Amino acid sequence: MTDRLSRTTGRRGSRRVGALLVLAVVLFAWLAPWLAPGDPYGQSLLKALGAPDAAAPFGYDHLGRSMIQRLAAALQLSLLIAGVAVVAAACLGVALGVLAAARGGWVDRALVLVSDSLLALPGLLLVLILSALIPPRPLAFGAGLTLVLWIEFFRLTRATCRSLLASPGVQASRLLGFGRLYLFRRHLWPEIAQLLLTTAAFGAATGVMTIAALGFVSVGMQAPTPELGLMMVELMPYWREAPLTLLQPVIAIFLTLLGLNLMAGGRQA
Amino acid sequence: MAATGYRLLQALLLALFIGVTTFAMMRSLPGDMAWRIAAHRYGYDLVDADAVRLVQEELALGGPLLPALVQWLTDMVRLDFGTSLVSGESVIGEITHQLGASLQLAAVALALSLLLGPPLGILAGLKPGGWLDRGLLVLASGLRAMPQFLLGLLLILLVSVRLGWLPAAGHGSAGHFVLPALTLALGLAALSARIARDAMAAVAASPFYGFARQKGLSDAQVLWRHGLRNVSVPLVTCLGLQFVTLVEGVVVVESVFGWPGIGHGLVHAIFGRDVPMVQGTALVMGLTFVLLNALNDALQRRLDPRGTGR
Amino acid sequence: MKKLVAATLACLALAGPAAASSDRTLDVVAPFEVKGPDPALSGAVFQRMGIAETLVDADIDGQLRPGLAQAWSVSADGLVWKFPMRSGVHFHDGSPLTAEAAARSLRIARDKPGLLDKAPIAAIEAVAGAVVVQLSEPLAVLPAFLSEYRSQILAPAAYDDDGRVRALIGTGPYRVTSLTPPMSLEVARFDDYWGVPARIGSATYRAVGRAESRALLAESGNADLVYNLDPASRARLAGSATVELLSAPLPRSLLVKLNAAHPFLSDGRARRALSLAIDREGLSRAVLRYEAAANQLLPPSVPLWHDPEAAAPGYDPEAAKALLQALGWQPGQDCILRRDGERFSLSLTTYPDRPELPLVATVLEQLWRQIGVEVKIHSTNSSAIPEGHQNGSLELALFARNFALVPDPVGTLLQDYAPSGDWGAMGWRHDRFESLIRGLARGEGGAQQRFESMAILQRELPVIPVAWYRQTAAVSRRLNGARLDPFERDFGLDALSWRD
Repeated sequence: MTDRLSRTTGRRGSRRVGALLVLAVVLFAWLAPWLAPGDPYGQSLLKALGAPDAAAPFGYDHLGRSMIQRLAAALQLSLLIAGVAVVAAACLGVALGVLAAARGGWVDRALVLVSDSLLALPGLLLVLILSALIPPRPLAFGAGLTLVLWIEFFRLTRATCRSLLASPGVQASRLLGFGRLYLFRRHLWPEIAQLLLTTAAFGAATGVMTIAALGFVSVGMQAPTPELGLMMVELMPYWREAPLTLLQPVIAIFLTLLGLNLMAGGRQA
Repeated sequence: MAATGYRLLQALLLALFIGVTTFAMMRSLPGDMAWRIAAHRYGYDLVDADAVRLVQEELALGGPLLPALVQWLTDMVRLDFGTSLVSGESVIGEITHQLGASLQLAAVALALSLLLGPPLGILAGLKPGGWLDRGLLVLASGLRAMPQFLLGLLLILLVSVRLGWLPAAGHGSAGHFVLPALTLALGLAALSARIARDAMAAVAASPFYGFARQKGLSDAQVLWRHGLRNVSVPLVTCLGLQFVTLVEGVVVVESVFGWPGIGHGLVHAIFGRDVPMVQGTALVMGLTFVLLNALNDALQRRLDPRGTGR
Repeated sequence: MKKLVAATLACLALAGPAAASSDRTLDVVAPFEVKGPDPALSGAVFQRMGIAETLVDADIDGQLRPGLAQAWSVSADGLVWKFPMRSGVHFHDGSPLTAEAAARSLRIARDKPGLLDKAPIAAIEAVAGAVVVQLSEPLAVLPAFLSEYRSQILAPAAYDDDGRVRALIGTGPYRVTSLTPPMSLEVARFDDYWGVPARIGSATYRAVGRAESRALLAESGNADLVYNLDPASRARLAGSATVELLSAPLPRSLLVKLNAAHPFLSDGRARRALSLAIDREGLSRAVLRYEAAANQLLPPSVPLWHDPEAAAPGYDPEAAKALLQALGWQPGQDCILRRDGERFSLSLTTYPDRPELPLVATVLEQLWRQIGVEVKIHSTNSSAIPEGHQNGSLELALFARNFALVPDPVGTLLQDYAPSGDWGAMGWRHDRFESLIRGLARGEGGAQQRFESMAILQRELPVIPVAWYRQTAAVSRRLNGARLDPFERDFGLDALSWRD
């Protein structure tokens, strides 16, 4: 018993740490360009791989571009794409999940089958295929990730709603003649909302990771766009000359993922 | 049996999805595509209009949409993926070749992860809150925040370049297996260790476990008789979850380490707009994944006959 | 499961030190993929690995010399070429090399994209132990065309009935023991070789696309011969104890192609302004990391065509601004030039296959911004460049052009600049240049005509030469006799030997 208790408090603690980490990353991404003004694309070749100075507190990359600017821009890009995809996936997933639970019958079965089949396609594969189909990369990534992430929202919402809809409270509300919207707001939403945060954090982690992984294997964003995976590839040849510069995107992605994972709690897979 | 039928239906829908998407891919970029294919085939800075004309003739793009789609899907059902637009070899031949390399890597990685993860997890689970447990928790969270490509990169720099112990990339000797397999395995092990730990902690805290110890059985005997079987059920479930990581990992890890498997082939085919290869590879990967899950279902039923409703 | 675990353990046990064992197979690593046995696809790799050969060969200075043909001669009207075959040559399957087999190989090669399908060839036949090529108009560079990798001679058994290549059976010092597209190729010494046999018994070729990975392979000693190193890795490997760096200038230039039909670029002064704004010295030091600033199209490694007295390219942003001002361009609020309400904004297409290209593009963007020209970089598949050329949508393109596919660059110049070509001039025409080059291709004219034609290109700037390339390779210190072929025809395997 005490074990479980300490674990729940421990979990809550680590969630708070995660949220703080994510907040710090977000603040960095949007405030850094403001604190150290400059341009993530602006080069000064003389300063290539140069040490930090007042104008560029994190030093310069191989083309003499300010690392702090590029890191911030890359984080903004990844977080924006992942964020938009998560929101879109949540809307889609929750709507379809409620629909499946409320309607049941063939609608339910068909939706479950579709989601299960898509689930059988590894997410990275899905995003890759879509990026070959839709030329603008951010859009392709957003769409691909949405297509990957909605399934989780759908499954959770459906499972929660099914048990809730069968509960005495909802039955009573129904008998009293309350409308569907009321049912949703009063009974379903509070339960779903709790699940959403966890799933969203996990989804965002998947998104950030996918974008970076594809950048790293050169099928993601294209240079000169600042993107974390791409930055690592670009800086990798200079690992001996400028190990700290290479380490920066590595740390950035590590902290982002760590924060999001901690936020998602002990959720597996 | 119903479960098998459902898996079959799932596989069918998956195939349909891949077929239609790749068909759309084939059709959506006809002008651009012949150019890309020619570039990939004849060398990126040698391609010219003549080469493209030849490719265009060969592809015979165009014609009415619906009959072409039906033909495309029929070919797919007959497992006739045609020939690679780049090499001109049959797609199925290239894929079987690549699949072999990928399966080898995946099997070694999986075995390695089972060797690392569950034993550590069980040890940690026997003493929840102990130093091993805490250390493992930190390590596992760290590993989960470390994408595979990052892990691969760090391993290459450290083990291969800094220490010069193992080859950084390539395929052929046993030494080539270690780094890519380890990259894949560490992520998997982190997960299975967590699961084994939680399950073991639950079992160890359960009344029957305590009773078994009171009976006078030694620690090892209790663990063997009552612990392992109960831990194995969630572990096998977790195995199912790991296949996703494995299949995705194969794409990334193979690209990073230049492993000539199906994941590397897919990234390549997408880059060169080699649609028949994309179709074949995606289909094989998706179906392998469904098959693995079906096997996992069956294994789960064997281990835990009480049955788990879906 | 137990078996699997046991197998893993066995693998691990074998792995560690065994990876560095001295099995004495030479490991070659380069970026080029092996797409299949067809020379039209991957012939360059087969040629460099010493598997397949051509009728005409070239030495390390680019001078043509007999290959599978003993010699060659041309009729007085320049229309009939005769290549008598070397005797006593055997293919790897044991069958003898005959003029019939060679003629068939060439006829098949001609049906595929390449140089032969563009040459004015009327017929290729075998007559009395010689390959006879009938032309419809004179072509002095024909022997050079026949030395290119797509003109390789394979055994009759290599082809199926439709002329598709089914197996790679050549005549070179090495024969294929295993071919696994797209990444690897294994060869063993061919004992029945007609020339001097190779010293190293077996070799493997691996295609590794990522420059960083290649450098790591060299650095960690997992490969003996690693080609195409990127600038940063080169700097790092220069201090290595395990490898030696070899470097040679290549007849390959980094060029900016301009659409001379575009209203902004149709005036030669606008093209000159763009050229003057490029800090070639700084760029080559920072990105390529060697002195490579180009003041003309072809580098000094092509002495016949390179004018050593040509003026330096010049870097003068102020003069560039003045030129553009004279054309009616005025800076707008955002510092970008404007004329009749139009902004001087162009798109620059390039591709990431050569890792330095996107880097150079980003540098060019900054340099041109300083004279008020905005450039949007479009890094995509390389095919976008010839495609944009064909449909007229291309504005600027940055690419690397190899002028020594055949040892004589005239073939490439003819294709690219007389008057225009996918990888050359666009919307540009110069009658004097065209007649000079056509004459040189027929075999008329000499150094004066060559230099004059090059001077026209440098004056008119249908393309802006930015830098010249160097090939850099890392060679294991365990090897003796490594050399770089500036014409990239040969890895030089047959001259290599182990040091101990």
